Amino acid sequence: MLLNEFLFLAAALFALGVYGVISRRNGVMVLMSIELILNSVNINLVAFGAMNGNLTGQVFALFIIAVAAAEVGVGLAIVLAIFRNRRSVDLDEVDLMKG
Amino acid sequence: MSAFLREYLTVAIFTGVAFGLLAGVLSVGKLIRPVRPQAEKYFNYESGVDAVGTGWVQSPIRYYVFALLFVMFDVEAVFIFPWATQLEIYGWFGAVEMGIFIVLLALGLLYAWRKGVLRWT
Amino acid sequence: MLAALAPVLAFARPAIDWHALAPEIILTATICIVLLVDVSTSERNRWATSSIAGIGMLAALIPILTLAVKGGPRIMFGGAYVVDDFALVLKALFLVAGYVTLLLSTNEIAEGDFWEGEYYLLVLSSVFGMTVMASARDLITIFIALEMLSIPAYLLAGWRKREVKGNEAGMKYYLMGVFATAVMLYGMSLIYGGTNSTVLAEIGRQIHGSFGKEPVAALGIVFVLVGFAFKVSAVPFHNWAPDTYEGAPIPITAFLSVASKAAGFVAILQLVFLAFLGRGDVIRPLMWILAALTMTVGNLIALRQTNIVRLFAYSSVAQAGFMLAPLAVVGSSASTTREVLQAVVGYLLIYTVVNLGAFAVIIAVGRKTKSGEISSFGGLFEYAPGLAVAMGAFLFALAGIPPLVGWFAKFQVFKALVSQGGASGITMAVVVGVNSVIALYYYANIARTMFMDAPPDGDRTPIRVPVPLLAAMGMAAAATLVVGFIPGVVAHLAEHATFALGG
Repeated sequence: MLLNEFLFLAAALFALGVYGVISRRNGVMVLMSIELILNSVNINLVAFGAMNGNLTGQVFALFIIAVAAAEVGVGLAIVLAIFRNRRSVDLDEVDLMKG
Repeated sequence: MSAFLREYLTVAIFTGVAFGLLAGVLSVGKLIRPVRPQAEKYFNYESGVDAVGTGWVQSPIRYYVFALLFVMFDVEAVFIFPWATQLEIYGWFGAVEMGIFIVLLALGLLYAWRKGVLRWT
Repeated sequence: MLAALAPVLAFARPAIDWHALAPEIILTATICIVLLVDVSTSERNRWATSSIAGIGMLAALIPILTLAVKGGPRIMFGGAYVVDDFALVLKALFLVAGYVTLLLSTNEIAEGDFWEGEYYLLVLSSVFGMTVMASARDLITIFIALEMLSIPAYLLAGWRKREVKGNEAGMKYYLMGVFATAVMLYGMSLIYGGTNSTVLAEIGRQIHGSFGKEPVAALGIVFVLVGFAFKVSAVPFHNWAPDTYEGAPIPITAFLSVASKAAGFVAILQLVFLAFLGRGDVIRPLMWILAALTMTVGNLIALRQTNIVRLFAYSSVAQAGFMLAPLAVVGSSASTTREVLQAVVGYLLIYTVVNLGAFAVIIAVGRKTKSGEISSFGGLFEYAPGLAVAMGAFLFALAGIPPLVGWFAKFQVFKALVSQGGASGITMAVVVGVNSVIALYYYANIARTMFMDAPPDGDRTPIRVPVPLLAAMGMAAAATLVVGFIPGVVAHLAEHATFALGG
């Protein structure tokens, strides 16, 4: 069974996504990193579902895909609002409030 | 080491591997790539032609809204396909359920239409 | 939905218990009506959406009452959706908190430069997600409920979209929330892989059994709980909270600090008590550290805040620590576990009411002073004695001074911690005690400003409080006083808010 390979791929994607969220400063890139994590979860779920021989994993993955689309829609809308107000999507500049 | 701490060791190893992988990939890239800066390399690549204007070209914001609407409805279709393949088995119960689902989706479209998002002017 | 997606050869129509689903159905219908009203009326009739939303939430409380009278857990969809006493108590809490949020919002939103129809639509959607969360006993359902309540909340946090601060609030909340959800999902995928099930009861059985001994179980549990730690703004995952609370419209700040946090705790309780209890040895130290850090860091930073909303942001971080504290001894014995559930549910009920009341006063005062500084509360007692006394009551209730309701919440936490009898429970109780004293200092400081100081600008015109705000304040104040003298009410609710096991 190929399960381990899938799990390693998913773990690598997860790690890359987490790294991207932490290190990237461009709002759009952070959104893409989060998509990477969600896709690693989907790979995990589908691989486990195939191994266990039930469909719950695939159903879960479908829900994640649908919800992630809505989530990214909202995220882009917020990035857009920031861009309209300050002509930049650099997250380091979004630091008006501190302390 | 107690059995309990060993469990947490898994978490620690996982974290370590995650960070190690990143550091490894990035430093390998840094080591093996040649560094020969030339002015031409900093030009925007535009199919071999000299670039015109700046790289920061704005596309109309309308594309964003349409693209978003498309993605939303496209993804929701994922729930309709499994039902469609087993249409007869689910019978009237499935039809009513799917009807409710589509009506709720249509409400979203109605909202977009009434708020003037669908007009291309 | 789930059953309808599986390609079964002989499809059995799932039994749907309409009575048990009535609150959710009413909320869905209200959402549709608000949307239709919003798109079909002109701008000046949009205020109607506020009333419709309020009526919908109150109407959804009726089936909850009838369900409570009939009693008995109702288990649907193979144990994925359960309406038991725990679910009913928390659904009622979410609906009441949502209704009070509407009362707080009505004037604020109507007078400001805001989109009205969408605002109420999103608050309703978020409350709908919370009511689903209270019944969700399955990983997929928990995920859907979490997103249903979070996505509208991201938009609401950034509702002041023309202001940079509003954008910043929305962005920070969104990024932290989505990141936490992604981490949580990764944990869920590991748990699903090991147990081959997404139903909490089945996962619980497997974690008690052989799967629980595998290291990957611990990894999955930690990831899932860390994801929810973001949601309840536990330190070190609290960074978003103060900025989001400051930048969001204040009624939404109240909503986030109360309802959204409560929903996070509901999910933690369900996961810990129904699924993860077999690995109490993983949960207890994690919760001990989270709770101790959350309380201490939240309180220490709160000490040096000058902005009232930021102060409440950090105080709500600290309060989350008090609620996490009992979980540090969960599962060490059956009786302790029961006490822990009671303590957390009781604390949630009390904290929700009192904090909403405090925010009602902050909004009322802010309407006059247009300032968020604590010093702007100076002399409040001179020109608005009613508001000052109410605020004083809420503050001391939050600090846990008898006879106001908060003391009972703290008392239950101590009781649960001490009942374990071990060193970790006792040390945790000491940490809770020390932090209660620190918290008292900054709560009392606001009270001192209100009663002793002179108004900073010398303006002593009385404050006119709009009726909806007054109603919200009155409800919270009445609950704070009455329940403080008769804590049996909350104790009764919390005692009965138990899970229907074996679903």
